Amino acid sequence: MIRVTGLRKRFGNNEILKGIDFEVSPQTVLGVIGASGSGKSTLLRCLNGLETINGGTIECDNVRLEAGLSHSDYRKRVKDLRLKVGTVFQHFYLFPHLSVIGNIIEAPMHVLHTPRTKAETEAYELLDSVGLKQAARRYPGSLSGGEQQRVAIARALAMHPALLLLDEPTSALDPRRIHSLRTLLRKFVDRGHTMIIISHSMGFLGGVADSILFMEGGYAVEHGPAEEVLRSPRDARTKDFLAQAE
Amino acid sequence: MTKSTTLLSKSLCAFCAFLWLICLCGNARAQQVLRWGADPSGGAPYVYTDPANPEQYIGYEKEMVDALAAAMGRRAEFVPSDWETLVSALQRGSFDVIVNGLEPTGDRAQQILFSNPYYIFQLQLTVRRDDDRIKSLDDCKNRTVGTLGNTAASRLLQQQGIPFRSYADPVGAYRDLELKRIDAVVMDVPAEAFYARNNSKLKPAGPPFTRGLYVIGLRKGDFELKSEVDAAINKIIVDGTLETILKKWGLWNEAQAEFQGPIRAGTQTATNVQEFTPTTSSFNWSEALWRLTRAAAVTVGLALGSMVIAVVLGLPLAVGQWKGPAWIRLFCTFYVEFFRGTPVLVQLLFLYFGLPVIGIAMPGWLTALVGLGLNYAAYESQVYRAALEAIPTGQWEAAYSLGMSPVLAFRRIILPQAFRIALPPMTNDFVSLFKDTSVAFAISVWELATAYRELANASGQFLLLGLAVSAFYLAMSLPMAHVARLLERRLRDRATERVVEQEAAA
Repeated sequence: MIRVTGLRKRFGNNEILKGIDFEVSPQTVLGVIGASGSGKSTLLRCLNGLETINGGTIECDNVRLEAGLSHSDYRKRVKDLRLKVGTVFQHFYLFPHLSVIGNIIEAPMHVLHTPRTKAETEAYELLDSVGLKQAARRYPGSLSGGEQQRVAIARALAMHPALLLLDEPTSALDPRRIHSLRTLLRKFVDRGHTMIIISHSMGFLGGVADSILFMEGGYAVEHGPAEEVLRSPRDARTKDFLAQAE
Repeated sequence: MTKSTTLLSKSLCAFCAFLWLICLCGNARAQQVLRWGADPSGGAPYVYTDPANPEQYIGYEKEMVDALAAAMGRRAEFVPSDWETLVSALQRGSFDVIVNGLEPTGDRAQQILFSNPYYIFQLQLTVRRDDDRIKSLDDCKNRTVGTLGNTAASRLLQQQGIPFRSYADPVGAYRDLELKRIDAVVMDVPAEAFYARNNSKLKPAGPPFTRGLYVIGLRKGDFELKSEVDAAINKIIVDGTLETILKKWGLWNEAQAEFQGPIRAGTQTATNVQEFTPTTSSFNWSEALWRLTRAAAVTVGLALGSMVIAVVLGLPLAVGQWKGPAWIRLFCTFYVEFFRGTPVLVQLLFLYFGLPVIGIAMPGWLTALVGLGLNYAAYESQVYRAALEAIPTGQWEAAYSLGMSPVLAFRRIILPQAFRIALPPMTNDFVSLFKDTSVAFAISVWELATAYRELANASGQFLLLGLAVSAFYLAMSLPMAHVARLLERRLRDRATERVVEQEAAA
C-alpha cells in the first residue's frame, strides 16, 4: 500500500530524517512512536507532501514521489500523492466558516468535482458511521474536541484516500473517548482502510496498531508487529523508551 | 496711613492716565488702517500676486483701495482671504471691508452693508475657438457652463435653469473649458479680459451682456465707515483717479463713462445709480434642500463607486504584497506607501489638473471616483493583508492535504475567513471614505460639502444649513454602520446561534 525507502529530510544543515524505510500493507495500521524531536511529525508531513523531501522515495498506490524530480514534476506528484493520502491533524483544522456537512463536501465537490447530491449522500453516510449525523448543519465552533475529531476523520475519508494519517489522535480525548476512537478506527480498517497513526499513548496503539515503528534521532530504530515491539523490543533504545513511557 | 493712601491714589491716577494715553495712541494708529479682504488666488485683474515679485500684490482694485485709503487719510492693509468665505470673514472681523468685485445681491444685503458702487461690470460668455454651436447663453440650455461660485453670473445661470458648475477661480474654469470638461464659461468682463481674451484656444461668444454693480462690503451697522468710504469713492471718481486706474488696466469702457459722467458733473451722486438692478437671489429653503438632496445623491454615488474600486483593487495589492515575487511586492509596497503617504487632496488635484498635461482629461466626478478609489485601495489592501495573515497556517495545510490547489484553497478556505476579520475595519474605512468624498470639492464636484459651503455662503445660514448637512451625512452613514454591524454579528455568531437554535428545538 505504502512503501517508504531511504527517506531523508533536512532543514538547513539539520537533518531530521536520516533515511527511513518501512512499508504498510493494505488494511493494516502502523503506529509510529518516539520521543518529541525524533522526527515522527516531520515524517507525517513528508507523507502528505507538506514538506519537500531531500532524499529517498515515497510510493503509495501507483504514485511515486522521489527526491530530485524537476520542480513541476515534483509538484504534480505531490498533488497526486495528496489525493491518495488523507490527514487528520492533531488540531483538526476544520474550516470554521463551513458547517459540518460543508467541511466534508468541500473537497469532493471542488477537487473531485463530485455533484453536490452525491457528495452529500456520501457525507451523511460518513457522518452516520462516526455517529454525528445529527450535527450535519452545525458549525465547528459549537462542537466538542471529540466531535471535531470525528468530523475531521469523516472529512479526510470523504476523499477516498488509500491511506489515512492521524497525528496524535488521543491528545485531546478522555479515556472513554479514546476507547470509542479505537473502536471507530478499527471499524474503518475492517472496511478496507489503511492507516498510519502517530501517538504517545502505547495503550491506545496496543489496541489499534498491527505494526509499530519506533523512531529516534531521525532513524527508524525498530519496526515490527505491534505485539512484538511493544512487549519484547529487540533494540535497547526501544526498551528504554517503552520503560519511560510506562 | 492717610499719606500713603494719597500717594497710592496719585500713582493710580498717573497709571490710568498712562494707560489712556497708550489706548489713544493705539486707537489713533488703528484709525489710520483700512483692512480690506479679497481673494488673490486666480484674482487677476482685481488683486493677485505680482508674477514679477511674488512678495507683492497688484491689481486694479489694489490700486483703487490704495487711492481710497489715501482719500480717507488711512493706510490700506490687504488681508488675503477666500472668495467663498469673504462675508463670514468680514463678520468675524478679520478685516473691515470687502473689495473684490462684490455684487450687491439681495441675500448679501441681509448680512452686510454696501457702499456706493464704484464699477459697472458686464458678463462675457466664452467658448472654445472651434465651437460654433454656442452664440449666446440661450444656446447653453442643455450644456454645462462654468462660472465662479456665488457670483452674479452663477445666479443668472441658476435663474435661467442652465446647468452650471462652480469654480473657485477663473483659471480652473477656463482650463476645463479647454479640456472640454465644460462647454462654455460665463465670467465678469475684468476676469475674462485677463484670463481668456488672449487665449488662442478660446473665443468670446457674442458681446458682453447684463450690467451689474461692484460695491464695497462693510459690516452691518458700520455706517461711520460707510460714509467715509462713500465719500472717498466719490472723490476718486470726481478727481479722475479711478478713471486713470481703470484705463491703465484696460477696464475703461462705455459703461464706466455712462456711470461716472453724471457723478463727475455733480448732477448725481453714486447712491442714485440704482437703475442697474443687480441680479438678486434670496434664499429659498425648499430649493436649498432640493440641492442638498441632489448633492447627497452625488456623495453616495461617489462613496459607493470608489469603495467598489477600492475593495476590488485592494485584493490583488494585498496578495501581491503578501505572496508575490519580489518585484510585484516592491510595486505593491510602493503603491501603498505612495497613496497612504500623500494627502488625498493632492492626489485629486494631480489627477484633475496634472493628468490633462499628458492627455488624460477626466471629468470631475470620474476623477473623484478614481482618485478616492485608488487611495482607498491602498488602505483596503492593508486591511486584507492583516486579515489574510491572521488565518492560521493549519487552514492552508488542511486544504492542501485535501488535494486543493493554492488558488482553490485561497478562494474557498482562506478568503471567506479573512473577509470576516476584515469586515469591521472595512466598514470603518467606508464610513471615513464617505466623509472623504468632501475633498471632491477641490475639483468642483457638486457633492454635499460643496453644496453646504456654497449655499451657506450665499445665505449666511451656516448654522441651520450645517445642521441640515450633518443630518444628511448621518442619515446615510448611520444605517450603513448598522447594516455592517448586523452582517458582522451574523457571520461571527453563526456557530453559537446554531447551538442555541438546536437547544431551543430540543
